[in-house]
Amino acid sequence: MIFIEAGTRSLRTFDAQLIFADQLHARGFNVCIDAEYLPKDAGRGRVYDAAKFLVDPDEHEVERVFVLGAEEIDDLLLESLRQRQLAADVPVVATGRFETQQSYISAKARLAYALGREATVLDLTEFQPRSMLPSAACPLVADIRPTARSAVEMPSVAVVLGSMELDAPETLSCLSRMSNRSDYTLQLIVNGAQNKVINESPFHDLPTILYTDLSARILANTTDVLVMFGHGVAGVRMAALAVELIATGGVAIDCTDDEAIVSSGAPALIGPKTPLALDGYLTGKILENLAGVAEQATKSQWLHSVDISRLEKAADLMPRKREPIRTAQRTVFFPTNGVGLGHAQRCAIIAKELPDDVAPIFAAFPSCVPLVLREGMDSIPLVQRTEVSANFNGNDILTYRRLGAALQENDRLVFDGGYVFDSVYRTILERNLSAVWIRRGLWPDGRSRPRMLQREAVFDKVIVPSEAFEELNDTYSYGDHVRNVGPIFRHVVQSDDERQGLRHRLAERFGRDFDHLVVSMLGGGVASDRSAQLQAISGMLEDRSDCLHLVVTWPGSKVQPATFGWSNTHVVQTFEATTLCLAADLVISAAGYNSVLEILYNKIPAILIPQSAPYLDNQERRAQALADRDLCAIITEKEFMKLERTVSDCLDQGDLEVYRTALNKIELPEAGAAKAAEIIAEAKYRK
Amino acid sequence: MSALEAINSSVRPKIAYIIEPRFSGGTSAAVAAELRVAVDFGTLEVHAITSRTFGENQFVAPALRQVLDELHIPLIWDAPRISADYVILHNPSFLKFNEALNTKIFARDLIVVTHENFLRPGGEEGFDVSGCLNQIEASSFVLRRTLAPISPHNRQTVNDWLASSRLARQWRVRDTDWFNICHADISPPCEKPQDRRGRHSRPGFEKFPSLSDLDMCFPEHSQSNVILGADAMLNAGVLRAHWTLLPFDAISVDEFFGMIDFYVYFTASTWQESFGRVVTEALAAGKVVLTNPETGANFGDAVLTCHPGDVDRIISDLVADPQRYQEQVSRSQKVLERYSAESFKAMLSNVLTADSGVVK
Repeated sequence: MIFIEAGTRSLRTFDAQLIFADQLHARGFNVCIDAEYLPKDAGRGRVYDAAKFLVDPDEHEVERVFVLGAEEIDDLLLESLRQRQLAADVPVVATGRFETQQSYISAKARLAYALGREATVLDLTEFQPRSMLPSAACPLVADIRPTARSAVEMPSVAVVLGSMELDAPETLSCLSRMSNRSDYTLQLIVNGAQNKVINESPFHDLPTILYTDLSARILANTTDVLVMFGHGVAGVRMAALAVELIATGGVAIDCTDDEAIVSSGAPALIGPKTPLALDGYLTGKILENLAGVAEQATKSQWLHSVDISRLEKAADLMPRKREPIRTAQRTVFFPTNGVGLGHAQRCAIIAKELPDDVAPIFAAFPSCVPLVLREGMDSIPLVQRTEVSANFNGNDILTYRRLGAALQENDRLVFDGGYVFDSVYRTILERNLSAVWIRRGLWPDGRSRPRMLQREAVFDKVIVPSEAFEELNDTYSYGDHVRNVGPIFRHVVQSDDERQGLRHRLAERFGRDFDHLVVSMLGGGVASDRSAQLQAISGMLEDRSDCLHLVVTWPGSKVQPATFGWSNTHVVQTFEATTLCLAADLVISAAGYNSVLEILYNKIPAILIPQSAPYLDNQERRAQALADRDLCAIITEKEFMKLERTVSDCLDQGDLEVYRTALNKIELPEAGAAKAAEIIAEAKYRK
Repeated sequence: MSALEAINSSVRPKIAYIIEPRFSGGTSAAVAAELRVAVDFGTLEVHAITSRTFGENQFVAPALRQVLDELHIPLIWDAPRISADYVILHNPSFLKFNEALNTKIFARDLIVVTHENFLRPGGEEGFDVSGCLNQIEASSFVLRRTLAPISPHNRQTVNDWLASSRLARQWRVRDTDWFNICHADISPPCEKPQDRRGRHSRPGFEKFPSLSDLDMCFPEHSQSNVILGADAMLNAGVLRAHWTLLPFDAISVDEFFGMIDFYVYFTASTWQESFGRVVTEALAAGKVVLTNPETGANFGDAVLTCHPGDVDRIISDLVADPQRYQEQVSRSQKVLERYSAESFKAMLSNVLTADSGVVK
């Protein structure tokens, strides 16, 4: 392992460690960073960046040590080097920008005192006499790829606002207009303060990412034109981005007050000093000539000064090409854990429809793993989010690591969920995956659509499983990549004999003959607590000697202890909920996507009780659509007092027959699982 | 001024010292002792230079302050020009972060006392020697420039550095050492030595050997191990149950020497003491000193030179033979006479006299 150290410990130097570690990693080196370097206030993005590099140094053999920012070396570094007692054959290389000969000598001497031998100290001012950011602790270098990027249909323009204040109202208004242009896509790279201003403004839908949301290398991969405003270059991440972008054939436009990029000798264009003039400059002068501008940049001598191979040579490093572990493409399904196991079930239904030459595996949370295994597919276990940890996204960082380990370049990731986690977003970009997003509709009111869709661009295809009724199929985004398919649900066939046999076994199992089997299936997911509703239903059915009431949940779901206190209510945890529902006279169900489709397509009479919670889709609209067609009864949140009467109407007044009749008559769209599987199998990496 | 004083004054040379008075270690202590001797040779001026090495403040090391007060010599800060028969500049490394010496020096003889080694073991530069000497050369109008090493090892590094430098022709090197005056009270050795080991130094990393060497020098089985100046180890949590780690200045040097019988002093292999003032302090305190051959070379048979792996054996032999312990201490303390004020006075008299080779 190559250990990347820093002369001092701060956010600035940690960024430098991350950038350089990422660059060396991409060049085929095994690199790591001592976990002690992780700053307490690292922030979300840096933690993701760091996750793959942080190690306990005692667990790894040191092959080489690389010290960044050696112009300033503190005792912590020296003591840690001394404590490691490195073998004499472990090279130690330090880089720094030394303003004087004395600072070079001091750095060399201090390292020598701690090591008991001399380190190789490289003065970056010799490599880069005019640095884009002299305060950068890392070498601002890149893997030079000599060919310019091929012409792109819709160039991606990233604008770094730098130190710009956003107090002038016309600035955001102008950026907003630019974000709606059809000849380029706009992304704003902002700091925390700017992000806050934007979020609190009428232009909160502007596409923004923070400096730390992605590594400079990945950001450069997804950017064609980089525009930088403000005074100077906004920190080491943005400097690394500019260098990486130019080195990989992108176009940099220097709009900084002090022409910070151009004055370093970099082949950037000098652009307008205000965003108000940027759109005209881009559309009038740049976008049509992108290839030519990039071609000119490849001839610049400056590229030589940022060539990472020069640094590698000086440090006696031999880059290694990282060979893929597998030759066959892998398809990984990652269902999120929302309400119940709906996402996992939908993915399993689609996965089973895939062609034989695609052998999918799952990356699933513990609650979903048994379901996946039961369907005959393998699963990488993920870790459920926990309320106990102060680190709210700690589990997603682990997911990121596991997805990263499971997937290699050009593999395929199928994500089913509403919110695209950082783990998913980053893994797709970092591994150049072919990616498919299964995105159900009926988002709840008030959810910011642009925010939800901001990461859609990383997916090659978006599969939208439709609802049963057209009025429920809202459209959230457009494009050739968005593909609507029919409803995806689990279809179970049950003969009369099977139904009667099951009812008989239930009577035996629970020691109770019954005329009416009532199944309550209000979901077992993480989003909402339905214990009060279950208690009410159980209480109502407690004295009915003609009924057997089963509360059906997925195995592993949380069940409130009070549910077990009724003599006529029994909790059944099973993957065969649909089979029980088919055997029931009445199902009382939440109105989730899967449950409703199963009720509809399997023609099961039901009372729907729509649930509402921040993560949930709009269940009330879905339930109402059925009720409007006399396909079920509905009890909304405000009508809960109607429950007893509605159950009685169903069991005693013949309403069940009304629903059965309507269910038998209704025409439903064709199921979409096979089509979804076809789209997935054809999905190709777009970039 | 009386006629006699006037006559005396006219024959007493003017001697100007240029110092960075904020050095807190051996340099300031050496200069302080030297001023007491030099005052007999002429009229003294002491000039302080504010260097970037120590920032903007005008702190004065206590040892220096005390001597200046005793001798009633004002400390002149950052004079634009200094004129004297002899200008003695101590420790040119204080200029290492400066771009220029903004004081013009006019003198017959400029003597630069090289407290710090020009080269480290292995041949790397100890500091930006060219930068410092160039600043002095550019600011001085003198008949002769001399580098005055303070020890044989220091001399070696100066000569080795000059051998590969274009500056060599601008400087001559004194052929006798401008040693540090060590005037500590001499204490007798203890009657019955015990395996009580210790070391003290400033806390810099250069002053400490590798951890494995430290472990060999201060093992679990010794009766006690006291390390004074262990600030970096304390900060980093490098602890051993059998070590007593104390920050620099946590106790007085006298208290420290009261806790040990053997002074075991090894440094980073990439650094070496130019003189080894700490060694002379230990010798004066009546302790047996064990150190590496390179540091020991300045002191002849006054110290026991060895490698960390030999320390245990040497100490156990001497603990078993108190007579030998006492003989070793007695022998070593005689060496201290070499570094007395009287010896220095004799050395200085050869420099600051008419027949010292100064061109008139």
